[in-house]
Amino acid sequence: MFSLRVVCRHNSQNLTHLRLLSTTSTANANALTSNVGASSSKDRPEIPPSGDKWTPNSIRTGLIARKRGMIALWNDQGVRVPVTVLQLDNCQVTANVVTVRRDKSEYHAVQVAASDKPVKTTTKQMLGHFNKAGVPPKRIVKEFAVSADAHIPVGTELSAVHFVPGQFVDVIANSIGKGFQGGMKRWGFHGLAASHGVSVSHRSSGSTGQHQDPGRIFPGKKMAGRMGNERTTVQNLPVIRVDSELNLIFVKGAIPGVDDAHVLIRDAKKKMNCLSSHNQAKGLYEKVLPKGVDDLPFPAGTTELAKTLPPIIEAPSYRRSPFIPIE
Amino acid sequence: MPYPFSKTALVPNLTLPKDAPLEKLKLGKGLMPFLQKNLYSAGKAELMHDLFSRQSPKQLRVGSIVTVLNDQAPNTFTGVLIAIRRRGPDSSITLRNILQRTGIEMQFFPNAPGVKEVKVIRPPPKGRMRRAKLYYLRDSPDKMSMLAGGKNK
Repeated sequence: MFSLRVVCRHNSQNLTHLRLLSTTSTANANALTSNVGASSSKDRPEIPPSGDKWTPNSIRTGLIARKRGMIALWNDQGVRVPVTVLQLDNCQVTANVVTVRRDKSEYHAVQVAASDKPVKTTTKQMLGHFNKAGVPPKRIVKEFAVSADAHIPVGTELSAVHFVPGQFVDVIANSIGKGFQGGMKRWGFHGLAASHGVSVSHRSSGSTGQHQDPGRIFPGKKMAGRMGNERTTVQNLPVIRVDSELNLIFVKGAIPGVDDAHVLIRDAKKKMNCLSSHNQAKGLYEKVLPKGVDDLPFPAGTTELAKTLPPIIEAPSYRRSPFIPIE
Repeated sequence: MPYPFSKTALVPNLTLPKDAPLEKLKLGKGLMPFLQKNLYSAGKAELMHDLFSRQSPKQLRVGSIVTVLNDQAPNTFTGVLIAIRRRGPDSSITLRNILQRTGIEMQFFPNAPGVKEVKVIRPPPKGRMRRAKLYYLRDSPDKMSMLAGGKNK
């Protein structure tokens, strides 16, 4: 046991009172500390207070949404934009996590849960967890790694205004299951020839190994098998429109998974987080955020924030109109 | 209400229809059909209903000759309507014509703000064709020119 993990909750009403460990988790924490021999409670990591302003080195939490389907919108230039509609379904913060790694660096994360579920079908263990957080039982609980300043009070309800139209997001979901598929579809094998004496095995994978030496198939050999229904990330999709009334996020392009599946949305790692800190360090301040985005809701876009903002916000096109010929 | 996170973002002044079942929509029930009904571009809902609804007397039918007036090039395009794709706001029509001995097919989305008007020049012979999609006209130019030439057999 090299790392010490403590799940702390802080009261949404009383931000100053940040550490509120229940007796059981204190006992667990003590058990853990006694294992590693560090017994003093000073080593226990504290949830740092959240900053109130986004900085280029901040990493915000993501959200859990449900994919509802696709539709097309037309932007201000009259260009058709195919979008996927994502809807937040009672997305709430259930815990803040701080873990000290072996090298004394810290891992910070926000635990988010979504989609209410009946108490009857919730396990006692999870019910205890949700009760501690003071939220109704949820179907899906996920953790997003954040920077130390981006912790959110437990119980906070997150809103679609978390994302700013014009910014980029990564969307993570399980892809559509394809069932048991052959090598041609699953791995892009070419199969055997259509003629030249090939019979019955036109879509065969062909040889899968050598002979008596090695006498076995090497692990990881690409063969027929179950395809799809695996975690897939689509990176750098622009957010086109945000609707806080119905809690909708319109993201440009296609997203893995079936309709009504849970998807994770977070600020794009490459086009937002990496570029922000990099351009800040280089002094390219106008490129810290994507074009047209001035700031991001920090530490998160909550339902309280949504009440102070317009219900529907749309991104204009930040590119040259394709309908005007180039001289 | 001001939007502090982006100065250039657009804030469309849209309100949900009064009879919208808000609680159900928030749970995602009937959300996509609702969006398909209500996400038309400004002032396009009536036009789209006229063109694509099967209840509308003015609905488009494949096999008719249709002219589309457009903001962008080509500003006008006339051709035989060979396909209708019904997808709510994303509905489109495909027109086919022979220009300078080259077959030209254009797909138009009447919900696009650039499309100004969709005029039916002539309805299909005998009111309707027997197929929903007239892709076979690509391989039989004689039948195509018969439709275009207006010999209503």
